[in-house]
Amino acid sequence: MAEVADLVRMSRIGKRYGGVQACREVDFTLGAGEVHALLGENGAGKSTLMKILSGDVTEYDGQIEINGRNVSFAGPTDAQAAGIAMIHQELDLVPGLSVADNIFLGRELRTRWKTVDRRRMEREARTLLERSGVDLDPRRPVGELRVGEQQLVTIAKAISLDARVLIMDEPTSALTTSEVERLFVVIRELRRGGVGIVYISHRMEEIAQVADRATVLRNGQFVTSFDPRRLSTTEVVEAMVGRPVQTMFTTPDAAAGDELLRVDNLVLKPRRPRPGRRDPDGISLTVRSGEIVGLAGLLGAGRTELLETLYGVAPGGSRSGRIVLQGKEIQPRSPRHALSQGIGFVPEDRRTSGLVLFHSILANTVVSSLPSYGRLGVIARRMERAASVRMADRLRLKFGRLQDDVGTLSGGNQQKVVFGRMLLTEPRLLLLDEPTRGVDIGAKSEIYRLLGELAGQGIGVLLASSELPELVGVCDRVVVLRDGRDVASFSTADSSEGDLLAAAMGDRAEFEGRAVFEEVGGPQ
Amino acid sequence: MTNAQDKSATAPADADRQAEAVPPTAAGTTTAVSAAKAPTAVAESSGGVVATLFRFQSVFGLLAVFIAAIIFSPRRDGEILFLSADNLANVVRAVSEIGIIAVGMTFVILIGGIDLSVGAVLGLAAVGSAVLMVENDWGFLPSIVVVLAIGLVFGALQGMATAMIGIQSFIVTLAGLQIARGLARIWSDGQGVAIAYGNGPNEAPDSFAILGERTFGGLVPIPVLIFAVVAIAAIVFLRVSAFSRHLYAVGGNEKAARLSGVPVIRVKIAVFAICGLLASLAGIVHAVQLNQGSPNDGIGYELDAIAAVVIGGTSLAGGRGSVAGTVAGALLLGVLNNILALNNIDSNIQLLIKGLVIVAAAALQRLRPAS
Repeated sequence: MAEVADLVRMSRIGKRYGGVQACREVDFTLGAGEVHALLGENGAGKSTLMKILSGDVTEYDGQIEINGRNVSFAGPTDAQAAGIAMIHQELDLVPGLSVADNIFLGRELRTRWKTVDRRRMEREARTLLERSGVDLDPRRPVGELRVGEQQLVTIAKAISLDARVLIMDEPTSALTTSEVERLFVVIRELRRGGVGIVYISHRMEEIAQVADRATVLRNGQFVTSFDPRRLSTTEVVEAMVGRPVQTMFTTPDAAAGDELLRVDNLVLKPRRPRPGRRDPDGISLTVRSGEIVGLAGLLGAGRTELLETLYGVAPGGSRSGRIVLQGKEIQPRSPRHALSQGIGFVPEDRRTSGLVLFHSILANTVVSSLPSYGRLGVIARRMERAASVRMADRLRLKFGRLQDDVGTLSGGNQQKVVFGRMLLTEPRLLLLDEPTRGVDIGAKSEIYRLLGELAGQGIGVLLASSELPELVGVCDRVVVLRDGRDVASFSTADSSEGDLLAAAMGDRAEFEGRAVFEEVGGPQ
Repeated sequence: MTNAQDKSATAPADADRQAEAVPPTAAGTTTAVSAAKAPTAVAESSGGVVATLFRFQSVFGLLAVFIAAIIFSPRRDGEILFLSADNLANVVRAVSEIGIIAVGMTFVILIGGIDLSVGAVLGLAAVGSAVLMVENDWGFLPSIVVVLAIGLVFGALQGMATAMIGIQSFIVTLAGLQIARGLARIWSDGQGVAIAYGNGPNEAPDSFAILGERTFGGLVPIPVLIFAVVAIAAIVFLRVSAFSRHLYAVGGNEKAARLSGVPVIRVKIAVFAICGLLASLAGIVHAVQLNQGSPNDGIGYELDAIAAVVIGGTSLAGGRGSVAGTVAGALLLGVLNNILALNNIDSNIQLLIKGLVIVAAAALQRLRPAS
């Protein structure tokens, strides 16, 4: 722990958004050369606190000192000038520009003639990427990169700012194991150079590896600070949630019924090739009603693409093989069609594909089941309200009022809204793509509870996930995909996370023993 | 995220604004009003006032321009000319065509699109009405029905091009503008077709002329009545219909809407069809008011309609806005035109002032606590 003078000292920080107290008298310090982890459920106030520090939020109570000097930022530019850089969870890159252009966006290097010095930018970008341990061509457009690679570019960009304080908000959420290792090397190097780093993450094992100190926030308040190498995961989780966590994973009774879904040798050949996508190339699997089937696989194994094909959002092209739902062969043409067949889908990215963030909770909840409230295309407000309230209760949604924007909810509660929307359509089969990504532990266990409940009602669930504990803990059976094919199927009763990982990787990579596996699956 | 959070800073009053602007919210008007009045623990009352001001921004804008009009109005024998019943009726009559078009334009902009063809479709409809009734001696009803159908189909085709092929609506309707204008010129041989009324050959039926007259004791011009009916129907439709929820969802996040089972393509086609239909209705009104149908009618009307929508607070990004705002925006432009004309302000200066008002309205929307 760095006992030098504090680089950053935030005292009694308070911030309220309408009726929600996002931060209440929070004290936070960061020393030079210290890695300070910030923990807490979604909505605990971590992001708000860091947005205040990075100048994104300018109205707040309390004081900020940098190097002992009182500061007050009018905006992010001010904060950057004071040496504070933030790597946002949402990647703020311009897809059409190259890696180098993105890194130097807004402070382009110039030649003597004041024109943009592309060559020098590319050279420096390359050095920078190498320093961060990334093997990327700086001339490639960012839009072509995987999410994980994009994340690395934002990190390289932040490093290039030569910041004294670096705020990383979930920097590893899409990185592969080896990329995470390399990132940690970079972090340690920065630390030696005296940079203070705030590290926000949900992943306990990473924090134990990289952080000097950890602080837990809950409901906008400081809860505890500790040495991350000493406290156990359970203790930390309890501090975050504020109550003992009984069973994180409900293992539903495998009282599976009749066959609900049968996929026979499904192959999709899109008319136009889709770079970076892995369309089904011979997948067979079944889901029985009341059964939760996991879809495992490395990034690029084709999990999302399979779910999308089943939900009718795959691109045009030729399809072979059969999709049979309750004994009847179907050809899902569109989400609307799939929904009418009783298939629901919760997409991976709720912000871009799930919600209209600036519309109300109510509107977002009922949008898929509208015709059922009222007659002749006229909405009976009381009915839709009742349906929405019922769903909010069932999902234990934490919200102010139904007409508040859904964007004001925490990530976990936003995800519940997407769930609720699908449940209101009364699906027989639910397709879930990473349903707990970016969701805090409390909401996570509630989602698991819900899945168990749904299975109990005879709904079949197909759950794609990158988190092995989730697959093993929640699912009855796990099907492993590799390169667009199903390569193995396990009953979770008698298989371990290691088995899944080994099957997912095949013989191409060695088992690295990491709980969360996100290796690149595509050909290099 | 910052956005979303900023928004919640003025939660209750702001949510009410949403309740008005975005129908998919739960609260009906009653809840919204009572919540705005009761200073709940959440918002300081000053914040509430500001939010209310912004919520009804276009209405207050209209009020401000209206008061300015009274002040600057020329007087004769102490009478304020602007406030004379005749003048007021004229103001609304003058905006009725743009207003009808702007209602359709609001729909299109709400789904994140734009329709540049409305002025040309108005021209086509005006020509169509004149040619069918005067040159082809068609009856009133069949002519109207055919002209409206032309607008509807024209709009639907544009909707298909943008929704199914995926061409941006800006491009599609830019092409549509040329096509509609070309059709109008071909149909009329490039000439304005004058409309005379009567029962003889080459005379339009008297029943058509009624559309240009006044009702309610000669107070309300029929075009104004048509505008009012269209506006109210649209407001009610956006409030109660399931379709409108889909429309707002498509404008708010098209991908999410699609994945939620919203028939995105159908919604888009329907919206462009409605817009085309209303543009042709405006064309009929135009023909009857000018007693002619000319292929050059309605040039530039699309821009006035867009201006009315923007002043009314509808977001060009889609998913947020209201027809009530558009009506206020159209009336604001009408009052402004009228008072400038009453004072014999040079028409070039008029343009300049209108431009500044549009910029001011857009700037005010940027300032609003939650946009």
